[in-house]
Amino acid sequence: MKEIDLVLDPPAPHMVGDGFRVHNFFPSGHKIKMSPFFMLDYNAKIEFSARTQPRGVGVHPHRGFETVTIAYHGAVAHHDSAGNSGTIYPGDVQWMTAASGILHKEYHEENYSKAGGPFQMVQLWVNLPAIHKMSKPKYQGIKHADLPFYLLPNNDGRIEVIAGNYKDVAGAVSTFSPMDVYNARLSQGGKASFDLPETYNTGILIIEGEVRVNGSTVVNADQFVYFKHKGTDFEIEALKDSIVLVLSGKPIDEPIAQYGPFLMNKPEEIQQAISDYNQGKFGYLED
Amino acid sequence: MLEKFKSYLQKRLPLTDEQFELISKDLKVKTFQKNDIILSQGELCSRTYFVLDGLMRSYSIDSKGKVHIIQFAPEYWWLSERNSLFNELSEFNIDAIETTSAVIIPKDYFLTVSKHVDGFETLNSTMLNNAIRFMQKRINMLLSATAEERYLDFIKLYPNLTLRVPQWMIASYLGITPESLSRVRKDLASKHFRP
Repeated sequence: MKEIDLVLDPPAPHMVGDGFRVHNFFPSGHKIKMSPFFMLDYNAKIEFSARTQPRGVGVHPHRGFETVTIAYHGAVAHHDSAGNSGTIYPGDVQWMTAASGILHKEYHEENYSKAGGPFQMVQLWVNLPAIHKMSKPKYQGIKHADLPFYLLPNNDGRIEVIAGNYKDVAGAVSTFSPMDVYNARLSQGGKASFDLPETYNTGILIIEGEVRVNGSTVVNADQFVYFKHKGTDFEIEALKDSIVLVLSGKPIDEPIAQYGPFLMNKPEEIQQAISDYNQGKFGYLED
Repeated sequence: MLEKFKSYLQKRLPLTDEQFELISKDLKVKTFQKNDIILSQGELCSRTYFVLDGLMRSYSIDSKGKVHIIQFAPEYWWLSERNSLFNELSEFNIDAIETTSAVIIPKDYFLTVSKHVDGFETLNSTMLNNAIRFMQKRINMLLSATAEERYLDFIKLYPNLTLRVPQWMIASYLGITPESLSRVRKDLASKHFRP
């Protein structure tokens, strides 16, 4: 059995732009090894008041990794310098490969902004292996209705497979290194078991509800469970209707150099990224 | 806390750890929160700041309420207001753009330390000459350079500030409108972007 190493509370929140109030579970909040996942910003459920001028984050660059946005409540409009745009609604996933460089901006979607209401999102930074850091940017947007899922027996719920595989169901997105990302949507009393390699870094974030892990530890909404690197199987039982984000991946064992929105291997690659960004090599996007 | 200040000085003059101990024992490090106003126009500024972490700026506000940024001070930069040396009130404001920790350098510090540490006076005069040189260049840029030339000079001087401050502040420092800065960046992208 894969045992629990730590149950982590959400660190104090901070604002990203004026549109995202996030708890950074890692790398700042808690010092846990989660590679290939470099960062987890969690906007726990909050109410935004109605606003004509949408809140959000203005134009900013990324290079060397992928940003993944998973929406649970509220809606976010997105535009990037490669000409992609779209709206991420609850249940949708946006998997953006910044790789060699992209500019993007993210704002609350206009109608959501005007109405206000609950807002809850996860943003992950997924590292890229060195050989893919400078590949061409790409964008995978998956609507909730198109997410492949495994239906659990006895109306226990379903496992939506964002990346990797769950049993015989393959994930919606392609990744550059092995990983599994699921949204487990469990009904009260529902159980799901997971079989993930020992060597993978594995954790789960309770988005909603309350669950019991491995038959013993009760974990509440907004808590993160970090597993030991021993054993492969763990089980979640929903004590209430619950949503659990499962993250598991093969560590990328390469040096890391990070500055602001750039995630590279060497300091000189960071300098290059800054210089390229300043000189317009990431393209242009109107604010 | 003062390690960065020590390494800054030791890179520039032969200074033993003991000497540094002596000249730093009365120095204080202060942390300012983002947006804290450190000095307001019309006050007497009695100190110089050496930034260890974070980012400060000095600026003026004109009669129409428009902000003009005189200088950014990120890590390892000095920021000071010189009127106080002549007992005159400040024409500028200073605030923290990010949470900033800075060494507070008292008014008579350079004079006192120069008496005790060989080479400090020369360092001080080199730094002053550099500051004058920097300002002469800045005046020339503001009088004669195109918006693009000003921007290209800015990214050489402050490479990472484009990631740390909003566009309008960069435009304000460059003496151009935010629209003009957008145009410059758009033109550069059309020259250099290879999708």
